[in-house]
Amino acid sequence: MSGKRSLAVEDIRAGYGKKQVVFGVSLSLEPGQIVAILGHNGAGKTTTLKTIAGLLPAQSGVIRLDGVDITRNSCAQRVRHGIVYLPQERSVFAQLSVHDNLLLGGTPNPDRAERQKRLDYVLELFPILGERRSQMAGTLSGGEQRMVAFGIALMASARVLLLDEYSLGLAPSLCQALAGTIKLLVERDGMSVLLVEQNVPLALSLAERVSVMRMGRIVVEETTQQLGEREHLWELF
Amino acid sequence: MDLKFDLLPQLFVNGVINGSAYAALGLSFALILRVAGRFHVAWAMIYTLAAYVAVVAAQDFGLPLVPAIILGLAAAALAGILTEWIVYRPLDARGGGLLGIFIASLGLIIVTENLIRLTWASQTLYRPLPGFPTELISLQDVTFTTLDLASVLTAWFLLVAVALFLKYAPHGRWINAVRVNPEMAQVVGISPDKVHLLVFVLGSVIAGVFAIYAAMKFAAVPDMGWQPLFLAFMVAFLSPRFTPLSLALTGIFVGLVESLSGIALTANWSPLVVFSVLLAYLIVLPIRLPRLAKLVRAWAG
Amino acid sequence: MEYQADLANQVLIFAILAFSLNLLLGYAGQVTIGHAAFAGVGGYAAAKLATAAGLGFAPALVAAVLTAAVVGLIVSVPALRLSLEHLILLTLAVSVVFVTLASSTSALGGAYGILNIPNPDLAGKRFDYPSEYFLLFLPLTILAFLIYWRFVESPFGRVLKAIREDELATRALGKNVFVYKMEAFAVASGLAGLAGAMLAFYTMLVAPAQFNVTQSMLIITMVIFGGMGNPTGPVLGAALLVLATPVLEKNLNIAAEKAGLVRMVVYGAALVLVVQLRPQGLIPERFSLMVVPRWLNRWKRPQTAAQSQAIGAAGNSEPSAALSFLDGYHGSSSSAQPGGRGNNDGTVLAVRGLKKRFGGIEAVAGVDFVLPAGRVTGLVGPNGAGKTTVFSLLTGVIPPDEGSVELRGKDVAGKTPDAIAKMGMVRSFQDVRIFARLTALENVMLATFGHPGETFLGLFTKPVAVRAAEREAKERALKWLSFVGLEGKADLLAGSLAFAEQKLVAIARLLATEADVLLLDEPITGIDPQWATRIGEVIHTLRQLGKTVCIVEHNLRALEQVADHCYFMESGRITAEGSLRDLMSEPRLVSAYFGT
Repeated sequence: MSGKRSLAVEDIRAGYGKKQVVFGVSLSLEPGQIVAILGHNGAGKTTTLKTIAGLLPAQSGVIRLDGVDITRNSCAQRVRHGIVYLPQERSVFAQLSVHDNLLLGGTPNPDRAERQKRLDYVLELFPILGERRSQMAGTLSGGEQRMVAFGIALMASARVLLLDEYSLGLAPSLCQALAGTIKLLVERDGMSVLLVEQNVPLALSLAERVSVMRMGRIVVEETTQQLGEREHLWELF
Repeated sequence: MDLKFDLLPQLFVNGVINGSAYAALGLSFALILRVAGRFHVAWAMIYTLAAYVAVVAAQDFGLPLVPAIILGLAAAALAGILTEWIVYRPLDARGGGLLGIFIASLGLIIVTENLIRLTWASQTLYRPLPGFPTELISLQDVTFTTLDLASVLTAWFLLVAVALFLKYAPHGRWINAVRVNPEMAQVVGISPDKVHLLVFVLGSVIAGVFAIYAAMKFAAVPDMGWQPLFLAFMVAFLSPRFTPLSLALTGIFVGLVESLSGIALTANWSPLVVFSVLLAYLIVLPIRLPRLAKLVRAWAG
Repeated sequence: MEYQADLANQVLIFAILAFSLNLLLGYAGQVTIGHAAFAGVGGYAAAKLATAAGLGFAPALVAAVLTAAVVGLIVSVPALRLSLEHLILLTLAVSVVFVTLASSTSALGGAYGILNIPNPDLAGKRFDYPSEYFLLFLPLTILAFLIYWRFVESPFGRVLKAIREDELATRALGKNVFVYKMEAFAVASGLAGLAGAMLAFYTMLVAPAQFNVTQSMLIITMVIFGGMGNPTGPVLGAALLVLATPVLEKNLNIAAEKAGLVRMVVYGAALVLVVQLRPQGLIPERFSLMVVPRWLNRWKRPQTAAQSQAIGAAGNSEPSAALSFLDGYHGSSSSAQPGGRGNNDGTVLAVRGLKKRFGGIEAVAGVDFVLPAGRVTGLVGPNGAGKTTVFSLLTGVIPPDEGSVELRGKDVAGKTPDAIAKMGMVRSFQDVRIFARLTALENVMLATFGHPGETFLGLFTKPVAVRAAEREAKERALKWLSFVGLEGKADLLAGSLAFAEQKLVAIARLLATEADVLLLDEPITGIDPQWATRIGEVIHTLRQLGKTVCIVEHNLRALEQVADHCYFMESGRITAEGSLRDLMSEPRLVSAYFGT
């Protein structure tokens, strides 16, 4: 499954039972674009991503993929359309081997030949996973686990990648390396990426546009350049 | 105390025979507990149901043994699916929690057990299932029946089959995926709901197999599910890892403890021994929890 | 007449079993499937003493109660730290061990049990007929019920409910949860033992089958059906179960042998339905079936938030409620800690060299800071810097590897959460942790230290003091609820309040401990902006109360409004301090905060 995807999120409300966390968030993601969502802890960034991925139901609002309303679609259906969410923690199947992790990533697309092609592609991007293929994913270093997570997403033929603080706990060099991989996937394969980050400079180096969330709402939405010119960035948090 | 060491070989064999069944039962319970997260006490109901359906099909409807058994297992599978779909899932969605599901489970066993008693109230409640070619096998000091042998072989077969299934079959991998990381399982497009139903089918069928063996060895009785439930429970909890291997070893361990206590004590004391072992484990558990848990976690991964 | 009396006697015995289990299950939240075994301990004790030692009815009963209570106490010890599933497993094991012991010990009659227990003989009168037994059992049951009632509908019972809702939060309020659990087990088992002994004398035998797991499950169904956590519900559950048989026999013309089975089928089915439709049982926790004397029943039926909206509660008080409150405030009154507002240099808390290692990671790598008296200090830093860990170390949730934590000059490092709470330092939790099924008022009332009504002895030996302490606790709770502007919602169940209101209740609860040092973990995160303002104002006013506050926050804009001074924490160390604005003007700190 190839093809670029555009994502539009309109006035989403979501939360966990009593606790409403997202109060009307709207975003858009053009094909082959990287957009970052910034904001303090508890601002609702993860909740927003999970709602887009289908892990949480949207209490109101609309989510569109290439103009098609997918708000009522299940998570499994959205994966088949190419929306893949990578959580900030526990983003791999820790007790299973790297190989099994990647195989599981291929679940939405069981065609054997296709799957092998994608596996080769993943191992080409992350050669170290080849060396570690029979190792249990939970025993890998933080950075390698992230690579496994990316591998899973690629195996699932992701077209829209929702990254939840992928840099968490990663050494700066690794962050940069993975940032390079993300740019490659976007430029070469036309992947669209929605990036939630605490690491502001990293987000600004990757994204073209930035939305800043505060207390469940978007308070600022501008290009990276405009945001970068702000003096007291912390006041937005 | 008069220690009957001469009985050792026979007791050992008994322990292995029973322990193999306990291992399989533990696997059945663990599948449902660890993958679907349900405290499925109604497992006893499904166990009993399988035996009764097979018995009724064979005795009252004159079916040959093999189709009767298949019918019994099918009934178990169906009961398992319905329990999860109609009772547990809506309750979970409504926030019933572990306790709520436990209570609903309890209600189901009560209904089934008493319905069975009602249905056969005027007849005998003790319903054997004949038809298996039972012969005695004697090797030196040890005696067992062909039925026992079949039970052991079935148990090991099931354990190996499930182990292979979990490792190599796509659906088996999904089961592991949901167990290990339900969120990521969803992320890659696995439907946890469907996987839950799958483990209920698997667990119910495995339970049914041994219920039917029990019916063939002794008989089907309305409260036959309780003792196996306790044992399945115990094996599922005592087993450090989820793997069929670990469950097998734990099951055999429990079977041996139960059986070998016969060296010193008469048979009616064996539940005491087994449950005392369990008690000891539970008492030690919180005390040594930090260190022990770290060890267990390191091994279990 | 004898037939009715027989039914009545059965109801009485089962009622005791049911409400005693309710104490453990419904109130304290301890799921046990071995309750019948405790009844069995009492029953066997009474039977053995009556037959072998010739003990009379009354002494046998007393012995039964005590034996069962002691066994219950012993069993509770391993149960203290077990999770729900393991607790179920433990009580299962206890039950099986009991039944096996009883049926295998010849001295206990083996599988047949002990037979020919003599009729009760009191003051020359022999009790033979059910109607005579009834005259004996009714007062016993009423006595047992009153004891149970005194436990559960009291400050003690309130603590049990808190344990059921959230054990960790209960400990953080200074309650020794282990002692409460042990006492609950002991009392519940003792009462069950009474029922077991009564059964023994009534049926004139005890047998293992009367006290096995199936019987325990039956008692559980009575409690659940009647209403868990409701004081009188279990009695209804017991009555329904016992009386169902005759109803089925007489009114529906079902044959006697079948009636018992039919009622179980109906009961089981009803259980499955009840738990789906009315998880709280037939009778909700708060509703009282009995006409209760005013002095026993303190709480009106609380409404949900929706109902109170219809009535027009004054819950939306302005922030100035907090300020106007101050006019009437006279500082810490009946607090538990020694007086004094801080050390000579004006600091209340001095932390030095605090270290904590988890496996290979040094989460806190040598932290030094002070909290000045009467000030709000902020603790900021990137994710994973170790800020919440510091709070846990300070309040004793986790013991530090090294370092000292001096609270008004006394080192509290390594002490338990309850001890530190009593010494005047408490914390709130990121995930709030209020007691959902208690009212806001009850939540705050639980913050009292040294309430005589919360102890076993005090409850029964000092009724006057208990009543006075309750009044005081209630007043104090209302005071702090009005401080946060929620006195109009005091009688609402905390779980039905909005999330931000729950945060306010949690703050009121902290304040009611009269602790001087308040550690607030992300109080403003995850709520609406207007609520954030309100909470911010409450925090602001805490200064005027002389409280010393430390806040971990990620909402920097809101933090700037309230914090006097901030510490910057990164990678387990404090590397800078100053006003938030100054800190955020440092390029190096900004990049550390937002990532390099």
